[in-house]
Amino acid sequence: MGIFAGTTILEMGAGAAGPVATRYFADCGATVIRIESKARPDFLRTLKLTPNTPGGLDAAEHFAVLNVNKLSVALNLSIPEGVAVAKRLALWADAVAENFAPGAMKKWGLDYATLVRERPDLVMISTCLNGQTGPHRFYPGFGGQGSALSGYNHLTGWPDREPLGPYGTITDSLSPRFAALLLASALLRRTRTGEGQHIDLAQVEGGIVCLSEALVTFAANGEALGRVGNRSRHEVPHGVFRCKDAADGRERWIAIAVHDDADWRRFVDALGKPEWATDASLATLAGRLARIGEVECHVDGWTRAHDAGPLAARLQQAGIDAAPVQDLGDVHDDPQLAHRRQFRWVDHPVLGRHPAEMNAIVFPDTPADIRLPAPKLGEHTHQVLRDLLGMSADEYAALESKGVLT
Amino acid sequence: MSGNLDGVRVLDLAGEPGHFAAKLLGDLGADVVKVEHPAGDPVRHRGPFWGHADDAERSLVWLAYNTSKRGITLDVTTPRGRDLFLALAERADVVLETEAPGTMAVRGLGWDALHARHPRLVMCSLTPWGQTGPYAGWRGSDLTAIATSGNLHCTGDPDRAPVRCSLPVAYYHASIEAALAVTFALVARERTGRGQHVDVAMQAAMIMPNMATASMFKMNGSRGSRAGAFFRQPKSEQREIWPCKDGFVSFALRGGPARMPGLVAMVKLMDEHGMASAALKATDWKTYNHNLLTQAEVDALSAEFGAFFLSKTMTELFRAAVERNLMLAPANTAREIDASEQLASREFFVEVDNPGRGRLRYPGSFAKTTSASGGAAVGIRRPAPRLGEHTRDVLAEIGVTEAMVVELRAAGVC
Repeated sequence: MGIFAGTTILEMGAGAAGPVATRYFADCGATVIRIESKARPDFLRTLKLTPNTPGGLDAAEHFAVLNVNKLSVALNLSIPEGVAVAKRLALWADAVAENFAPGAMKKWGLDYATLVRERPDLVMISTCLNGQTGPHRFYPGFGGQGSALSGYNHLTGWPDREPLGPYGTITDSLSPRFAALLLASALLRRTRTGEGQHIDLAQVEGGIVCLSEALVTFAANGEALGRVGNRSRHEVPHGVFRCKDAADGRERWIAIAVHDDADWRRFVDALGKPEWATDASLATLAGRLARIGEVECHVDGWTRAHDAGPLAARLQQAGIDAAPVQDLGDVHDDPQLAHRRQFRWVDHPVLGRHPAEMNAIVFPDTPADIRLPAPKLGEHTHQVLRDLLGMSADEYAALESKGVLT
Repeated sequence: MSGNLDGVRVLDLAGEPGHFAAKLLGDLGADVVKVEHPAGDPVRHRGPFWGHADDAERSLVWLAYNTSKRGITLDVTTPRGRDLFLALAERADVVLETEAPGTMAVRGLGWDALHARHPRLVMCSLTPWGQTGPYAGWRGSDLTAIATSGNLHCTGDPDRAPVRCSLPVAYYHASIEAALAVTFALVARERTGRGQHVDVAMQAAMIMPNMATASMFKMNGSRGSRAGAFFRQPKSEQREIWPCKDGFVSFALRGGPARMPGLVAMVKLMDEHGMASAALKATDWKTYNHNLLTQAEVDALSAEFGAFFLSKTMTELFRAAVERNLMLAPANTAREIDASEQLASREFFVEVDNPGRGRLRYPGSFAKTTSASGGAAVGIRRPAPRLGEHTRDVLAEIGVTEAMVVELRAAGVC
């Protein structure tokens, strides 16, 4: 039985930062209900949408992967009856998670300050780029802006090239983790004290807290750290090196991290003790740092003659931290990820059978799993309002006829 | 200051990959005790150092990720150290560790031993690959965990090697995941009355940051690629990181209902500076679809936007972005972040007093909370501990006398 079986979370929002957070709960058994609208759909439903996309809003792959295990209620929030239904759901649910721009919830009267008057123990989390307060609170942005503002772009890439930012707009993946941590801790506190709370999570701030090393270093020494490729100030070699191309012509690379002098001795043995590597001046980190370019050049010359996978296995046998660089297809053939059942398959009504990734946690007593595909927009409107919320058939029919449930 | 995890006791045996995990639990109010070998955590002996002085109490990586913890020294590989750890564990709610799988069991501190003595204890193991499976015995770190996740393959310039962030993001991702795993397990314990051994893997933690695209391989066959400062669309490559007068800014040519107003406002701004062509001004942004642009169309747009950005500084462009709701952001360094008016207005940065070394400015809480009692505060509780700073206090809680501590210290146990 999942950890959050019996817990209901109302989700209002879009994209990744909010919805990925609630998926942790959905995967652990919670009933997560999304309020959606056909007039203003989640942008993940429209990311690759063209007028000819078969299945339309229900055929978005990004949305399908990130929203498995959830229910969808269609509500038109531009009319008061739609907002009234949303409010009933918010007061009925165990928690509310929203990631609209600041002010949107207040405009509807669905903000914490309003809701808490009717539900004193309300637990609610609001996630946005810069937070609910401050002069930049209305500044609009997605993860691309979050990565730039919080410092990740500047720190990623080569010193002689443009900054890049880690693939996938990193604040979109850090902030759901913070949000799930905060929401679970708030629910735990409510079971113990009976008190609810509102949580204001700024994606940029969460990202910066992760980079505390950079900010504390600047505060202490006035030094703004920069991007250094794959190098490390205290490990040499520490890099990604070219291997033999795959049979189909794809480039292959290996990541190698020699963490200390003992690792270096093992690495020299694994290299077969070539003359350059047995040079005594390379036996210490200081010596290797002084000749880092030369060391990297030699390692690169060696790895190019090998296949990445077998070479990594050989280095691991020798006690060296090494691994092949895997692409988005290779990860499906990775035996370790397969062992953890990282990708699990689900039948989607439009897209057919597809995998979705699990989180990085194994809970042995209370396993998480994928039970449902991502919802079609409004797929569960009837089920949620009639069966879960207990709305009468007459009221439901009246809302339907007024166009509230779209 | 009370928090959501008040009353939760955590024993933190973690090395560098998990330093941040236990700090997060401490920031939420848990009583976290960092357990270090008497020689000190290896990170203490690694630069950069505060004031460039090679001093275990001035390692900035240590100071950055070990706030909100008390600290003790204990050699858990010795029989007496192990027994003291077991006594501490009997009073704890959580043990967090990052050793290679099996190492804790060899020391007599594995899950079976801990669970038998204390069924309510939650144990969280954070490792590169996981507790079991074909690579469980492999070594791993930030670089190799990201390498195997698909994320590294997609980060970097097309003509160079895949490249990581220069700071260890796999440790950050996996640490937040571990803190939330611990919190979920504490919620489960409320119902089951039992703790469990949760297994968090760094490689697995780096799958989600691919934002669904790893799973999508099975739908679209895309293995991902490196596009440098560009974003690959079906028909074109579109620049997303642009050089400006004194640095770089992030700005996308993507449309859609959420982004379109920003494009319109940007063109208006450029026009005010006489830098928008008649063709650009004539663009119908309502029907604009970045998915359908040809490369020639993208190049024409990029030439105009790019020339405008080059004529302005990061600060000028960001000020305009905030005033006019442009979706443009500067590629900030620590210097710009430190000077942010938004962060200042939210009192994000805090001064932490490090006894004997002075005050140091830190990023503060990762969230603001509101509750009737004010009892859900998130943020730094105390400075990072000096080596063994709380050994006497913590051992006294399990009845170890001052004299015994002196003797244990002489024997190298603490």
